[in-house]
Amino acid sequence: MRVFDYLSHLDRRIIFLLVALAVVIPMLVPLNLPVDITGPVKNVYDKIESLPEGSVVLISTDYDPGSEAELYPATEAIIEHCFRKNLRIYMMGLWPAGSELGNMALNKIAQSYNKKYGKDYINVGYRPGGQVMLLSLGRNFGDVIKVDYQGIPIDSLPLGGGVKSARDISLVITFSAGDPGILHWITYFHARYGVPICGATTAIMAPQMYPYLSSGQLTGLLGGLKGAAEYETLVDKKGRGLRGMDSQSIVHLLLVGFIALGNVILVYQRRRG
Amino acid sequence: MINTIGIWVAALLTLAIYSFLYKDNAFYKIAENIFVGVSAGYWAVVLWYDFAWPNLFEPLLTRGQWYNIFPIFIGVLMFAPLIPKISWMIRIPLTFTMGVAMAVSITQFVQGDIFPQLQATFLPLSGVSLFKGFSNLLIILGVVFTLIYFYFSKEHKGVLGIGAKIGIWFMMVSFGASFGYTIMARVSLFIGRIYFLLHHWLGVI
Repeated sequence: MRVFDYLSHLDRRIIFLLVALAVVIPMLVPLNLPVDITGPVKNVYDKIESLPEGSVVLISTDYDPGSEAELYPATEAIIEHCFRKNLRIYMMGLWPAGSELGNMALNKIAQSYNKKYGKDYINVGYRPGGQVMLLSLGRNFGDVIKVDYQGIPIDSLPLGGGVKSARDISLVITFSAGDPGILHWITYFHARYGVPICGATTAIMAPQMYPYLSSGQLTGLLGGLKGAAEYETLVDKKGRGLRGMDSQSIVHLLLVGFIALGNVILVYQRRRG
Repeated sequence: MINTIGIWVAALLTLAIYSFLYKDNAFYKIAENIFVGVSAGYWAVVLWYDFAWPNLFEPLLTRGQWYNIFPIFIGVLMFAPLIPKISWMIRIPLTFTMGVAMAVSITQFVQGDIFPQLQATFLPLSGVSLFKGFSNLLIILGVVFTLIYFYFSKEHKGVLGIGAKIGIWFMMVSFGASFGYTIMARVSLFIGRIYFLLHHWLGVI
């Protein structure tokens, strides 16, 4: 068939253009497709809901601008939930740029809830050292963290001075794009000190995390932009996650169509010899 | 004003990078080189201000922690290959690094990864719902057959061959799931860039 012959030699730039249109059009004309809530995402939500007011949640922003599109919406949605529940946030980062991205989300949302820096939330910035640092951190925060990201002595801040060891942390939530990241928190911090861990990871990393969910080492998981969209639905706050889901769904349908069409053409060509 | 300039620079660099999809061109190369240069500069600053200064030099120079000379000396030995006569001395920092990394990693990896993961495969097949029992059976069979595939001391023939083939099927399902998630991740990154262009730059959404 002539159509199949034409398609088998299709300029791939046409495919790029179709994918671009599949992303742009749903953004300009939202379809508001429904987003189902999956178990691992609900587990994160339920865990935060179960914490008593004033509990300290350690948020670790272990990503950089390369993964911002996937993880920043999740960062905002979870910080929103924590402040809404009057939990206190102790933020740090295992990646240098992650700390700055986390700070953007923290300051933006803290303002809308009238939260005070030092009392309700702090950011101690980037902490190098990977696994060795995490092992020391759980034993004694003072060994690793002496000042916050602005250089203010940590003991002079009510929240900073109050957190001495892993025992003072109710939950760790890591936003992770690779190494060091969620696996370090599970293997070194959870295994040694028993603090529950929840995570938001890039979609590429998500399948690797399912064995840890299954074993209970990971309490809950937000996988990629879809995880962020689910969480935004749970906290009833439309953000970039939900905004991107229409485009994501349309592109997936388009790609499934391309894969099916490619296989049909392949079978046709093989039969024709 | 600075924010506006930043948005314009980011938008133009984004378009320059995506122009490669049409064909290789000068704008793409300029953007690529800017990225490499900025990354190198950024990491140099991070390494100095977050690693070297607070952990080594600041305690040595302002707090009198004289024993910091030893890690500095060991670190400097990493450059030993530049002088052929003493190039063998690089073994000292390499041995030290490997020793520490193994000591920290092995114990914690066994405690925090291997044992809990092994424990998670001891799952009940009875006394649970039918669906849960089936899921547990799949996990157990998946682990067993995949391990059979990675048993190389005997040729994969007969029962062992069948087990290895089933192991391949389990791995194929796993690779398929990973590939699907990878596509989702790449599309998400593209969505992020388009959102930036339409929202922050053009302001149309």
